[in-house]
Order: sequence, then C-alpha cells, then structure tokens
Amino acid sequence: MSRLPQDLEARLTAAAPAGVEFSAETDQYGVTVAWLGLASAADLSPVATLLKEMGARLSMITCAQPSAPEEEEEDEDEDDEDGEEKAETEPKETPKSFGGTPLDGTSYEIDYHFDIAGDALTVIAYVPQGGSIASLTPLFRNADWHEREMMELYAVKVTDHPDPRRLFLDASVDGAVLERLIPFSTLVNAASTKGLWERLLAGKKGAA
Amino acid sequence: MSTHNVPETFSIPVGPLHVALEEPMYFKIDVQGETVSHIDINAGHAHRGIEYLTTKRTMYQNVVLTERICSLCSNSHPQTFAMAAEKIAGIEVPERGIYLRTVADEMKRVTSHLFNVALLVHLVGYETYFMHMMQVREIGQDMLESIFGNRQDIGAMCIGGVRYDLDDKSIAYIKGALDKIEAETKDIIKTFKTNGSILRRTKGVGVLTHAEAITCGVVGPVARASGVDYDVRREAPYAAYDRLPLVVHSLTDGDVWSRAMVRLEEILTSIDLLRVCLRDLPGGPVNINDRPDIPPGQAVTRSEAPRGEVIYYLRTNDTPQPERVKWRVPTFMNWDSLRFMLQDAKVADIAMIVNSIDPCLSCTER
Repeated sequence: MSRLPQDLEARLTAAAPAGVEFSAETDQYGVTVAWLGLASAADLSPVATLLKEMGARLSMITCAQPSAPEEEEEDEDEDDEDGEEKAETEPKETPKSFGGTPLDGTSYEIDYHFDIAGDALTVIAYVPQGGSIASLTPLFRNADWHEREMMELYAVKVTDHPDPRRLFLDASVDGAVLERLIPFSTLVNAASTKGLWERLLAGKKGAA
Repeated sequence: MSTHNVPETFSIPVGPLHVALEEPMYFKIDVQGETVSHIDINAGHAHRGIEYLTTKRTMYQNVVLTERICSLCSNSHPQTFAMAAEKIAGIEVPERGIYLRTVADEMKRVTSHLFNVALLVHLVGYETYFMHMMQVREIGQDMLESIFGNRQDIGAMCIGGVRYDLDDKSIAYIKGALDKIEAETKDIIKTFKTNGSILRRTKGVGVLTHAEAITCGVVGPVARASGVDYDVRREAPYAAYDRLPLVVHSLTDGDVWSRAMVRLEEILTSIDLLRVCLRDLPGGPVNINDRPDIPPGQAVTRSEAPRGEVIYYLRTNDTPQPERVKWRVPTFMNWDSLRFMLQDAKVADIAMIVNSIDPCLSCTER
C-alpha cells in the first residue's frame, strides 16, 4: 500500500545510531504519513543524507517550543528569561522527550517534513534551550529560508548555515519573537497616537 | 567588441512597490547593460505574524483566520487546516461534503489561473486581450459570488465538511457558466499557441531547468512546467480526488510560456472535474453538524492549491487553542527559484518572469 520503501525504517534506524522512534499510518486514500523521532539531534544530518539519496523532497520545517505539560500557556505574561527561572525553581520532575531533552517549555522541537513519492515523513529533532542544530541547506537548497525563519522566530541556533541573515523580519527587530510576549497592537502594527483627536478638539475649541 | 562598448554594471532596485509587480516583492538586481547578472531577494514586506495569532484563536476561529492568509488560495488554507483537525479528531466528512469541497477548490483554481495568465498578457503589453481575459475570469467570479456570496474569501470550509450546499438550480447555473469559460479558455489556448506577440515575449524566457526545479523543491504549475510531474491531487489524494478523472499536465521547457500553458490546460481539467463532481454529487448532509473538541495530537496534511502544494502542520493540546500551526505555501520555494529564472534575463522581462511563478506574498510571509 505505502509507497515508502519497505526497508525505510531499517535504513533510518541504521543511519541514526542514537536511536529512533518510528510510526506510520496509512489513510483511506492510501497515503502514508510517517513520523521519525530522533533520540539525538546530531543524527539529523546522516538521516537527511539518506533521505536525499532516496530522492525525498524537503517540504517544510516547523520549529516549535512545546509548552510544559504542567503549566499551560506559560508564555502568557512572562518573557523567556522568567520562564527559564521558573522551570529551575520548580523541583517537580520535568518530563522528557524521546531522547531525553527536558520538555520544560523552553526546549525546541524541530520537525522536518519530507515528501517521498507522495507519502509524508516527518523527522523530529529535539534541541534544548541554548542548543543548536545542523543546517540542512547544503543538502536541501530549500531548507535555507526555513532555517532563516526559524532563527528569527526562536533563539535556536543553526550551525553551518551558508547565509544566516534575517529573512522576513527587519534587522532592527529583536530576535526570538515567538518566545516573547508582543502586545497585539504592536503585533499588527496598529498602535495609534492621540494626535488626530487632539487636533480635532483644538479645531473645535477654535471654532467655538 | 571594443573596450569602450563593454557595458557597465549597475544595481537597480525592483520593488517593493513597483508598477509591474502585483506583490510587495523587493529585488536588488545587478545588471550589465540590459542583462541581469545578480539577484538578491529582500523579503518581509507583508509579514503579519499570523502564525503567532493562530495560537491565540480557538480551532474553530482559526478556520476563519486561515481563510484570510491569502485571497487567491483562500479556499486551500482553511481546507488543509480543517483536514489536519479532522485527522487528529478522527472526524469523517460526509460524502456530499467531500464532493462540495472539491467543487469549491476547483472553482477557485479556475479563477486563480485565469487571473494569473491574464496578468501575464497585461505584462506582455497586449492590453485588449488582457481586458478580454479578465472578462472571462469575471464569469468565474460571478459564479463564486452567486454561489458563496463572496468573490474571494468564499467561506466554504468548516471543520467536518462545508458550509454551503447546491440545489438543482445552482448546479444548472454553474454548468452554464462552465460551458462559457470552457469555450473561452480553448480560444485563449489557441491564441497562446499562435499569437506572435505572446510567443515572442514568453518562449524561452525565464527558464527553470528540470534539475534546478528539483534543487529548489518547487511545486505546482512552476514545477510541472519544468517537467516535475507532481500534483498533490494525484500523489496524495484528498477530498474526492481519488475518484475523479484527474489529468496532470506537465511540460518540459520550463519557460514563462510553459507555465502559462500548464495553467490554461489545468483550467480545462478543473472544468471537467467540476462537471463530474456535479454529476456524481451524492446526497446527505454537507457537514457533521457538530463542533467537537479537538483532542491533543499532531497531524500533517497537504493539498494542491492553485499555485501548488500547501502543507499544514497542526499540533493541538488540551486547550481550545492549537499549540502550533505551521504552513508552507508554494511561493515559499517558487520565489527563491526566481534566482535561476532571472539569471541572465533581460531587464524588460523581469516583471513577466516574476509574474510567471504566480507569487503570493501574503501567504508566504504570513
């Protein structure tokens, strides 16, 4: 049914010595969606090299900061530093991802969505706060923009990126925008002044 | 050539606001005489932070929000988002809803493709024919407005199905409109194959080779014009596409003309698909008539928007708001591939080549 190679799991497991967590599901249309969790982010490059050899196309990269299970909406009114302190002061045991990255709301989960002849494979790598991940741009040209966007939205570092400039955000904007609270009015750039009303009121007074 | 004839190199800005560009794109172009020697792309003029906003809205509000990411593929975004939510929650869309999703999708594809090819004719400088093509597109826009009440954001999708229904009267009306568009499109194809002005400006211009198309990972008509025979509707079917006579059109030249021709042929295919959908439209409800909570989970879904593959990644948690929504639209890669298409192009062809990828910045930058 699936168009993924029969030995895909075995070959991926061989490429990632630290261990993998593989699952696949085929829907009623015969389209398979597979997930591959990596125990070590260092295994990303060999896995990606293997996928490149198999003719996979990189479709998208998603970076996320999964919130800690015990405190939902942890980015409600705290910036990044506060969140980190909180995680340190709480003696509760932090849940860990597959591979042992603490899921305290500050770690990153980076998903690499590949297309193999119509089937989807998502490779998941976990990176702790302050950690880094190897760039896939040398392998997949279209990883370039995804990684540049990832670097401006989060404080995650991408090593060996050939062109680590800002992509969408201007250089004057502070980085890691998705890790900070940004007021809605600033976000939509709709902050307004009282200037118009003051002028109207002054005009009204003048007329009276 | 004597030395005093060697042209100097200049840098010219194209954009972000430019008479011939429909989108706020900004290229820093180095030219040698009339020839482009280097391209730098500066993005970010339409960045709105919608990805952040989705995590502040509930799942059901996000169907409305995702529709507003883009106007020309405004149907593909909520559909792919809803597909992800349905996958996580195990919701099965009723048969009639599946067909009506396809109907909405293909109607939008027809008008989107007509719009892009019409703009190409405008950039070629053939203004009367541009007016004519926009008039043909208007038949499609009238169709959208009559059926959905809106020309662009048609609001057809919801989690669990669609929000509209068709009766015999509206089906007959759509069929009539399709007949008109089909005849006109066949005429347009004939013109594209024979008209000297169009052929001279578009043949062999802005070439993206097959190898470059693979390297850039381009999708949609841009990929298919360069011989990458890939269409999500066939490769990873969704909605009713697994039971429709879908023909995927691909060409090998990879130039502006091929991209336009792929789009024109796809309009005819879309019309065929619409007719089959309207003929086979099953009875029953159009949606699940319920708004269940979406349980925690994650899903990846894809669909073929007019411009190519749209992919959504959705992760939900125990709250009504999603934890992360990420999507990638065709222009994301197609835009970067302009570096290859514009290399060694003539300055006068820049706007036309840019238009040939059918750029959509508001959904690329989000």
